[in-house]
Amino acid sequence: MDDIVSNHDLEELECELDAAAAKESRKARRRTAIQDIEPGAEWNDVEHAILTRRSIRKFKGRQVPAHMIRRILEMGRFAPSQGNNQPWSFVVIRDKAMIAEMEQYCVAVCKNMTATIDYTNYPPGSEQRAAIMENTQKLNRDNPNSFHPVPMTAIKSIANGRFAVFHRAPTVILILMDKRGVGVPEVDIGVVGTNIVLAAQSLGLGTCWIGFSKLLSSNPALVEKLGVQAPFEIAEAISVGYPIGNPTQQAISRQTHQIVWWEDGNKEILY
Amino acid sequence: MSDATVRKASVPPDHLPIWDDPCEAIYHRVTIDLDKCDGCKLCVVVCPANILELFGPKENLKARLKGDANGCMSCNNCYAVCASQGIMATEPYDFAGFYEQKQISEFMFPRKF
Ligand SMILES: Cc1cc2nc3c(=O)[nH]c(=O)nc-3n(C[C@H](O)[C@H](O)[C@H](O)COP(=O)(O)O)c2cc1C
Ligand code: SF4
Ligand code: SF4
Repeated sequence: MDDIVSNHDLEELECELDAAAAKESRKARRRTAIQDIEPGAEWNDVEHAILTRRSIRKFKGRQVPAHMIRRILEMGRFAPSQGNNQPWSFVVIRDKAMIAEMEQYCVAVCKNMTATIDYTNYPPGSEQRAAIMENTQKLNRDNPNSFHPVPMTAIKSIANGRFAVFHRAPTVILILMDKRGVGVPEVDIGVVGTNIVLAAQSLGLGTCWIGFSKLLSSNPALVEKLGVQAPFEIAEAISVGYPIGNPTQQAISRQTHQIVWWEDGNKEILY
Repeated sequence: MSDATVRKASVPPDHLPIWDDPCEAIYHRVTIDLDKCDGCKLCVVVCPANILELFGPKENLKARLKGDANGCMSCNNCYAVCASQGIMATEPYDFAGFYEQKQISEFMFPRKF
């Protein structure tokens, strides 16, 4: 009888000890979880990848191994999205003939655009110019922000063959967007692409976002051939390959944007 | 340091820029240090605006901006790729007049806060 009681006491004591140990270890875990960096600390791996990423527009001919593309797509799959609705899908094109066909079509569209909307081909005050200006303005109304001078210069360069739409990359990833996506699915596409681009950067691959991939949408036959089906549409593309030169050797400078900083009832403007 | 191009927009504040004159919409400054440049051509290859070219005798090639050189978007890809730090965009792409950029300040390298 005595024996049994003492056994029971022992068990209770062990339980208490266990509980104390568990509490201690929980405390320790909480202490180590939050580790602030010192001001001015060196860049960590993620920061380094962000700062040294550049848009690569000249690629070596060598194809990227398939497993590396699968790996960066996996980083895209784990991107955050509104309501976790994951409104994306990918088309990977590593087929030279297919990329050439896409390139050809986009060049044709750009040639068409320079012919029909590029009023800079004609002198100011001329009749042709006034006629073309009208087209430009109409298109601009339907696609606000698309005829900004920078893409306009690029459209011209594509039309006259100085600039390749997909930059002759060995692999092109089309990011498709589910039009039924929660909230603003375009933002989710931006996030998924950023994950892909940064993952590629960390593996030594070069990437370039290709906004001009949207031009493909105006060719239903090509869209179908690529395997894009409603409710998905082509939202963006990313060219992937090995960069020429070493464009990641130094971080560049960029504009500083205003930061409104509220603290302790005061408002400050920082840059 | 030789200043390759200085471009400034000077239009009245209520004026809508006309996009056929990039001078009205683009405000950039690319500087090329001819002493440092060794004519490797990498910047010419990577420039998305295609505004750079090499000039000079074969043994002493240097980079420069092509003609009027419109279209620079101040991406600084030329700087990133240059091993001798001979080229750099030092002022941002900008708008003029109505589209003047607000609440944006000068170019800065990444700061370690
Ligand atoms: C959504 C998006 C679309 C883009 N589309 C194109 C494109 O069609 N062609 C291109 O050459 N660059 C494209 N870019 C790349 C930008 O021009 C580039 O990010 C910018 O010039 C800054 O240079 P960096 O990426 O080297 O830092 C795109 C970038 C983004 C974010
Ligand atoms: S990358 Fe630098 S060194 Fe090479 S040509 Fe351009 S400016 Fe000159
Ligand atoms: S900043 Fe970009 S667009 Fe301008 S000259 Fe350099 S590479 Fe070309």
